Amino acid sequence: MSPLQEDLVDRAGRRVRHARPDLAERFDLSTLAGLLDAQQSVAAAASAEETLVVAVIHHLELAEWAGATCAFAFGLDPVAGARWRRSFTRTVFLAGNPANLRERFRFAHVAGDSTAAWTTPGPGPNASTLRRLLKLFDAPAGPPARPDTLVRLPGRPTTGHRDLYLATEGCSLADALVHLNHVLVEAVLDGLIAPGDSLTLRQVPRLIGIATPFAALRVVTDPHRPDRLKAAAGLTEETPVG
Amino acid sequence: MPAVVIADAGVAGPAGAQALHDAGHRVRPAGGRRVLLAPITITPSKPLTPSHLKGLLWTDVMYRATRPLAEVRYRYSHTTYHPTEQTLGFWEFLDRTQGDAAYQDLTEQEIGDHYVAFRAAGERAAARSLRPYADAVEQGWVHPASARILELWSEQYRALGLHDPGLRAHQPPGLGLDEMLDGLAARGLCLDHRRIGGPVHLDLTRHGLPLRQIVTADGRPNYLACALRELVPLAGDFDEIVLLYDPELDPDYQLLERILADLGPTVRRVPVGRVPIDGSIRSARHGGWGHHHAGPLLTAALAEYDGPAVRLGMRLYFIAVLGPGQEQSFRPELLRQCLGRAQRLLATGESGQLGTPALAGLLGRHRRDHTYVDPYRLTTSLLGKRAPAPSPELLTEVFV
Repeated sequence: MSPLQEDLVDRAGRRVRHARPDLAERFDLSTLAGLLDAQQSVAAAASAEETLVVAVIHHLELAEWAGATCAFAFGLDPVAGARWRRSFTRTVFLAGNPANLRERFRFAHVAGDSTAAWTTPGPGPNASTLRRLLKLFDAPAGPPARPDTLVRLPGRPTTGHRDLYLATEGCSLADALVHLNHVLVEAVLDGLIAPGDSLTLRQVPRLIGIATPFAALRVVTDPHRPDRLKAAAGLTEETPVG
Repeated sequence: MPAVVIADAGVAGPAGAQALHDAGHRVRPAGGRRVLLAPITITPSKPLTPSHLKGLLWTDVMYRATRPLAEVRYRYSHTTYHPTEQTLGFWEFLDRTQGDAAYQDLTEQEIGDHYVAFRAAGERAAARSLRPYADAVEQGWVHPASARILELWSEQYRALGLHDPGLRAHQPPGLGLDEMLDGLAARGLCLDHRRIGGPVHLDLTRHGLPLRQIVTADGRPNYLACALRELVPLAGDFDEIVLLYDPELDPDYQLLERILADLGPTVRRVPVGRVPIDGSIRSARHGGWGHHHAGPLLTAALAEYDGPAVRLGMRLYFIAVLGPGQEQSFRPELLRQCLGRAQRLLATGESGQLGTPALAGLLGRHRRDHTYVDPYRLTTSLLGKRAPAPSPELLTEVFV
């Protein structure tokens, strides 16, 4: 295994251990096979005890949405956040207009102009009415090309800044939400991102050759090589804006 | 007072939106309430089955019976619904599999057989393959197979005494797809994700109704999107809109009702049940219509009865005998009995003149809180044992 693959396996294993220490006792998280077994076990056991968030998407502009996702995560109750982390911050993305739903549903956070909204982390069945009313967010095209975009997070401005990378090759816009969401909310829950920080969203085909080390990575199976992993999105260590 | 009636044939022109807008103003009052009858059209790809005949006769009686009481417009545009995938896909399938067939020589059954083959193949043409067809429809083009079907249907309409609402006319909807969707989005009634490569949904979630996709992610509109292109720009010109539809489509028509009602008019939903054949309700896409379709039914009826008896008898059977539900299977012997009954009713009809006010009064009794006349109540009134013989005016105006 190449050093890069070893690093990806190590990071994926750490994420599983962090969320579910019990799985480390049952699976060898230092190998790809063990990671995949652990992943299958989690998927098979998904139950009413699972904690999830429903994110409702009306209009989507990726940089604005990333900022709003952090704003949502900043407001999370720590206990609810910990429960959600244990379910690997599972999030269901649905197409919907929060402005049409606010009378019937209580959201934990609604983005400006009602472009998106998030429910409080809770048991899956709590979201069933919303899921019946709305449809899965469907955006098969890739994320629109963009220049590197500075995102200022809500709160008193700080000097904290990191780069937020998205690997666009083979990535639909719907995939992009999944990847960036995990990176961002887990970074907030882990204290890597704080109110008032800023991020630069950078879209590149693949996360290779990047000088600044990554503080957090979203690791998935490489669709071209199912025996390998790839980084789908990542948040760098602190770095100056530039 | 004579009613002001604008049928749709010939309304359309190249500037569709303006033409329809102007047409809308032409039906504006000379007094009475303005009623729009908007039944769902039948895909011109097959013979007219008993279910289709029932819907057509039902709408026809409603239209003709409401005319003396209100300003009625009967909107029935095939142009509007050609852009649906089942029509464009059929045309693309024909051109791909049949090439330059001489459709003008085919019967509706032969073309229907191709349609059954198309549906059975279950292939879905790529959006780019349908694009030339969709573009041509907007310019008034109709595939020769459907043009042939519409020609045959026109003849059957005449034999059945059905008002022709412009079967073969180019009647484009008043709004383009983008304009319609922009208008709905501005009212918070649709969720348009096309800019990010996603689909479009109707959004009535504020009323607790689930999202309904009306345009796919690759840009194909469904029949609801087509209906909205037509009905949204018309809605403001009418006091009452009557939607006649297959009960299976009820959830969609609840959405349509909410959207149109939001634009002003009172919206009435009138589901008209289908006609089972041998106990089962089958979609025409499966074929199997045998001799139970308009051509053979008319030929058999006209061999035994004259035109007026056939027209009245068909209405007695498909409206009064079958009723609004869909419990009773098609029974040719009952249809035949109705033709005989019609012959007798016509022979004993009163010879005296009823006069327009009296006719309006008679028709007006067959309404509840709505403006349109209920075809079922009106038609069953002819069959009561103690019912007086129908007046010639009623028969001429509404039934034959």
